[in-house]
Parts: sequence; C-alpha cells; structure tokens
Amino acid sequence: MPTRMDNGERCTPAKCETCHGPMDSPAFCDNCHSLYPADGLNHFELLGFLPSFDIDAAALRQRYLQVSRGVHPDHHGRGTDSSVSLRLSAQLNEAHRILSDPVLRAEYLLELVGGTAASSDKSVLDGVLATTLMLREETAEAKAAADTAALDACRARARQHYDTTLAQIAALARQLPGDEGLRRRLRATLNSIKYYQKLLSEL
Amino acid sequence: MSNDEIIVGIDLGTTFSLVAYVDAAGPHIIRDENGDGRVPSVIGVTPGANGAPPQVTIGWTARAHAIENARATVYSVKRLIGKGLEDIRRDLPYLSYAVSAGPRDTVQIEIDGRRYTPEEISALILRALKERAERHLGRPVEKAVITVPAYFDDAQRQATRDAGRAAGLEVVRIVNEPTAAALAYGIGLHRPPPRARAAASPPGHTPLPIPSCPTADAGGVAAHAGQTVAVYDLGGGTFDISILRLEDGVFQVLSTAGDTHLGGDDFDRAIINLVTEEVHAQYGVSITAPATKQALRTLAEAVKIRLSEQTQAEIELDLGRDRVYRRTITRAEFEHRIAPLVEQTLTLCGQVLRDAQLTPADLEQAILVGGSTRMPLVRQRIAEFFGRPPYTALNPDEVVALGAAIQASILSGKQADMLLLDVTPLSLGIETMGGAMGKLIVRNTTIPCRATEKFTTFVDGQTAIKINVLQGERELAADCRSLGEFVLDGLPPMAAGMPKVEVEFLLDANGILNVSAKELRSGQQAGIQIIPSHGLTRAEVDRIARESIQFAQRDIDAHRRIDLRNQVEFDTHKTEQMLARVGHLLAPEERARIEQDIAALRKLAQETSDLDELHRALTAFGHGTLHLAEIGIREALVKGDKEE
Repeated sequence: MPTRMDNGERCTPAKCETCHGPMDSPAFCDNCHSLYPADGLNHFELLGFLPSFDIDAAALRQRYLQVSRGVHPDHHGRGTDSSVSLRLSAQLNEAHRILSDPVLRAEYLLELVGGTAASSDKSVLDGVLATTLMLREETAEAKAAADTAALDACRARARQHYDTTLAQIAALARQLPGDEGLRRRLRATLNSIKYYQKLLSEL
Repeated sequence: MSNDEIIVGIDLGTTFSLVAYVDAAGPHIIRDENGDGRVPSVIGVTPGANGAPPQVTIGWTARAHAIENARATVYSVKRLIGKGLEDIRRDLPYLSYAVSAGPRDTVQIEIDGRRYTPEEISALILRALKERAERHLGRPVEKAVITVPAYFDDAQRQATRDAGRAAGLEVVRIVNEPTAAALAYGIGLHRPPPRARAAASPPGHTPLPIPSCPTADAGGVAAHAGQTVAVYDLGGGTFDISILRLEDGVFQVLSTAGDTHLGGDDFDRAIINLVTEEVHAQYGVSITAPATKQALRTLAEAVKIRLSEQTQAEIELDLGRDRVYRRTITRAEFEHRIAPLVEQTLTLCGQVLRDAQLTPADLEQAILVGGSTRMPLVRQRIAEFFGRPPYTALNPDEVVALGAAIQASILSGKQADMLLLDVTPLSLGIETMGGAMGKLIVRNTTIPCRATEKFTTFVDGQTAIKINVLQGERELAADCRSLGEFVLDGLPPMAAGMPKVEVEFLLDANGILNVSAKELRSGQQAGIQIIPSHGLTRAEVDRIARESIQFAQRDIDAHRRIDLRNQVEFDTHKTEQMLARVGHLLAPEERARIEQDIAALRKLAQETSDLDELHRALTAFGHGTLHLAEIGIREALVKGDKEE
C-alpha cells in the first residue's frame, strides 16, 4: 500500500510498490497497471481531492473517469486483480455518486467530522413540516382540478424552498468542522431538504 | 492475457442470434454461405428411430420445419429464460410447444416426454454459434461476451450465463444490448453493409475498420466533443431504452428502462388475435392445433413484415376441410391494433429521460436498434417524441453483435482507451419487517456498486438469519422479484440482538449480485448459503454441459435416477437420526408429519419413473425438515457449551 500523510487529508505522491514509479492515484499505477486496495481511504482521498464542500464538477468528472479507466474490471479481467478491481470500482462509483451531489457531499463531510447521522438525529428546521404539508395540499388540489398553472406555481415554490435550503447547506458545510451547534444546524438543514426533494419528485 | 486469445461477441436474440469478432480490420459478423449472419433462435427436436437419441436441428432448418413439427419446435425461448410459469402465463396460449413448471420457479419445455430447461435450449443455439465461429476462425472458441436486454433482472442474467456455460463457453461478460449498440455507433460503424440476403458481399468478411478519429457528422464520436444519445431497442421479444453520454472513448449509461416482455412477438399477436377472432366468428372454430397455431404465427410475422413495406397485405389460412380464411389487412388497421404497445415504449422513453434529468432537446441522436424498429409507426412516433428523425443508419439486426465483439476486444485488453460504464436497471433491496421493500441500491446506479446492511437476531440462541433479497421498484416485497433467500448460518449462539452481521451486496459489472457476510463481533466470515428462488443450481448447469442431448436419453435418466435415489437415502437417513436425537423437542404433529414424509419419499424413489417429480419431492422434503435441522444444530451447540 502506498504511503500517505497521517492527517489523511491529501494523498502524497506515492511510489508504486511493484514498479517503483510515481503514482498519481492511490488506487492504481498508470505505469505498470498494478492495483492497490483502498479500504482505508475516504471518497475525497480516493479521487485525490481535499475534503471540502467546494469541488469543481468538471475536475471531479475528469478525475473519476481517469481513475475508472485504471481500475475498471473491463481492464482487469483475471486472477486476484479482478476482485480488487471490482471492489475499487464499486468504491469509486460510490465516491463519485456522493461527491457529485451537493446534498450527499455535505452529508458525507458532516459524517467525516463526526456529526450525527440522519438515523439518530431526525430534527428539521422550523416551519419545514408546515410548509411541505401546505404545498402538498395545494398540489393535490391543483392535480384534482387539473389546473396546470396552479401546479406549475406549486412546483416553482417547492423549487425555491429547495434552492434556499441548499444555499444554507452550502454555507454551513463550508464552515465544517465548526462547533457542535453548527453541526446540529447542518444536520437539521440536511434533514429538511429531503422533504423538499420528496415533494419535487412527486410533482 | 495472451494477445491471440479470442473472445467472440454473441447477440442471443429472441428471434435471431448472431456471432461476431474483432480483428485488426475491425469487428465482423460471421456469416453463412448465403452471406446471412442471422441464425434463427429456433430448435427442432425429432425423436430418434428405434430408441436412438433424439435428433436436434437448429436455425433455418428448424424454422423451415416449424409447421409440420409444431409441438417439437421451440422458438422465442428468451421470453422464458429466468422466468417462472406465473410470469409467462399470457404467453402460453400462443406457444405451440408444451411448457410446464420446473423446480425453483422455473419453466420447462416438454418434447416427446423429455423436459428441457430454457437454458438447455439457449445452450443449443449458443453451441451452434460457437461452432460457426470455430469453423470460420479455424480454432477453438471458448470465451464469449453475450448480450442481454438492459432490463433483464438478476435471474435472467444468471440464466443466460448458465446457458453459455452449458454450451461450453466461459461467459466473460454479460453486456446490455443497447449499450453494445452504442459501442458500435460510437466507434463509427455508421454505414452498415446492405441487408445480407440481398447483398453481393463475399461470405465471412465484411471489414468495418474502426476509424482512429471518427467524426461526429459521420455518426462516430469526435475525440472531444461529447454527445448524449438515446438507444431505442425494440427486438423480437424485448424492449429497452437507454440514455448514454459518449465522450472521449467513455460510454456512460445515464439511465435505462424497458420491458422484457414487449417486442415483435407481441406485434405478431395483434394479427394472430385478429385472425383468431374472425375465424371463430365466421366458422365457429378455435385455432388450437399446434400445427395451425404455428402456421398462423409464421403467417402473422410475414404479414407484419410486409406491412412495413406496403400499405396492405393478404392473409390466407387453410383451416382444412375446404375452409379457407381470407382477408386483406391494411397498414392503418394493423397500426390501430398495435398503437397501445408503441405508446407503452414511449412512456418508458419519458421515464428514462426523467431519470437522467434530461429533455428530448438535450439529445443529439435517437438511435434505432432491433428488427421491430423497421415498422413505420414506430419510426414516426419516435420522431414525434424526440423531436427529430431517428438515426437509422445502423443495421438493426447486426449492431448488437458487433458491439458485443467490441466489448470482447476491450476485455481482451486491446482497447485500453475505451471505458464502458453501465448501470443497474432495477433497484435492489431486502424485505423488511412488515413485508416492505427496503431499497439498498437504487435503479440507474453505476455498476459495479455495493451496499452493506447490518443484521442481528431476534431470539436468544438464534444461529441463523434469513434475508429475502428483492429486485424491483414497487413498495411491497410481494410485488418485487425475490432473487432468493440468503441464509446466514453458523452464528455463535448469543442473546437476542447481540450478533452483528454485516452483509455486503455487490453488483458486478455483469449486473449480477454477489453476497458476502461477516459477523462483526468475531470478525469472522459468516457462513452464507444461497437458496436461489429461480434458475438452475451449479450442479444442474454442469449436468447440462456434460450431457449433450444427443446422448441416449435412457443413459442420462439412469444416472440421474441413481444420483437422486442416493440423495433420498442419505437425506431420509440423516433425518431419522435427527428425529431420534431431538424429536422429543418437536410438536407431536410435526414429528408424525416428518415420519410420514420420510416413508412417502422413500416409496416415491422406488416407484416413480418421473425424475423431475422425484427431484421436486426431494426439494420439498428438505424444506419440510428445515425446522428440525435448526433445532438439531441448536441443541448440538448448547450441548457443546455445557460440556466446556
């Protein structure tokens, strides 16, 4: 396993244990195509980013595709490599799924700094339940009356609530690790946006 | 991997199957002496004279004799593979061969008293393709990439892989058909050879070089300018729609949807139903004879094809006894009957776009694949839906096999610059308390992917946990497809809730599920026993691979009977021992029932000649004694504890 810095924040330029060449990714060697299990690495480390809410979407995609080419089972068909490749690919796809979605990314960052999981803290921001309930009722009425204009208005308002909440999440996530209060607020804001997500998916 | 290793690409279709390979000049379809690459996916069986083994015909020959050999001609077996009898109930009236329920929610095809699994029939088609490739390449072919509809579930994928194995092929990858088509499109196979039957091209080779830098206007993907495409694949029995992003050698599926029971066969049935109704009204007769059914099926297919080129067609069916049914059908009349089916495909097109968070305007192309996309109504409705004329330059019959061959060349290390990222078409989950479906992996997640879930026990001393693994989008477990019951056993007896078992669900690049489990307190790999709800066991696949059906039937039955009887003796003996030891812990009724089961199974083993029946009885016996076995194991463990 190539070495990396103890603080776990950044992957050092590591050396490949097989060919001793420099390695660009902790998971595979571009030069000799050796694979290295990355069980201890978090999603950011696997893709070579500092843990941060702000991540360049194009750079993330480019990096994801580059590492995918290196580790994908299509290019590591046989032998012991195939199971390492399968696991690395699954890990990489998961990392990309989480990091490319701002809500999941913020939630993951919160988890990394020891914030509580959604399963143990279900609190939401004030007014979210009342707002979603009201929007849901209005949506049902609009649907029943086949009133497309009213339905569009509902959708626009739900979208607006979603966008506002997402902006709050971004602002809080940028301040991580922060104090306990900040982490709780972020948890509640993340819990809240799920109500708007669900509402939007039904609209 | 050695450079001369050959992996062929196979399109195992509902109606036709093809085999292709890649050489330095590009991908090629392997054709017959007439220049046709298609092998009809049809098998005919004729009984051998005087006890000789049955004779099997495959492809065009079997298709040509389908009417006179109606009961023993198997077609469209792809609609049966990986399915249970309940799943295919609406197909049954249209089949001229006999289908019955097999073990573990499978179906079996019955010909002259012998039962064949759909895997066995598919293996015969695959074997014919393997032999065609070997003749053409002059060397043994042992590895293949086989395509399946993107919307195939785990059971259907596994069954296809088993069919390959039974045909003596190592299936190095299962690839989704629309994805394979996109591969062929993406590398610039934009101008297909003319339709084989009309072609003057030499047999065998039709070189289609892979351009080093295909240009976007030619249908290939320019080096950097990416494009987003829809692949609309309407085949003989299945429908898929996939949205892909093609960019810089990367083929990324964004979303996929489909129906594994919607295709050309269903369009034929629109004509079959029309004729059946009218024949009944005019002559008061029902079409039930297998030969008439088969004749009508052949006729309906021909009429459907004619209506793609002409605006009307003649139907004529000889009903015997000087009764001939005749009528003219117009294209408009036919289209009116099939319109609901075409609309169903468009509903799914809407769904994939929503899943990919795109609109038709975001797409550069709507690519047509599959023979049924030749129908004018399909083309017209796609053009209306996507707001552009569909891309029809690919040969809809051949492009999937070509794509499979390209994937094969990627797997043999010859296309290191290409990357294929596919998704799982169906959500994967487990049955939770109260019979709900708890999703662990949602549909359209890029594969390979994994999810873990922790399980514990509910009863003190419980040493096994059962998990029902599901695939599907519905809320209730009962409405989803069960992939099988996974039993975690060998847990150390502890107080309820103490053991922590982490189960990993891993979907591999074939879209096939792999499950492993770990007991976290001991860190040990927990024993996991998988009882598939569907399909064949490994032993059954090996058996099919061993016994080519050209073997004398009696030999096979004799072997199987010995194996089964030995198993019966072993299982009943073991159960008797268990009863003697812990029988007092059972309710008297249960104990009496097990004793009766033992006697009944032994009697059946001596008397029956129906080995499938015996196999089913043996499986049922195993289920009926599970509780006893659990008690036995628990007692043994408790006793072990006391002795320590």
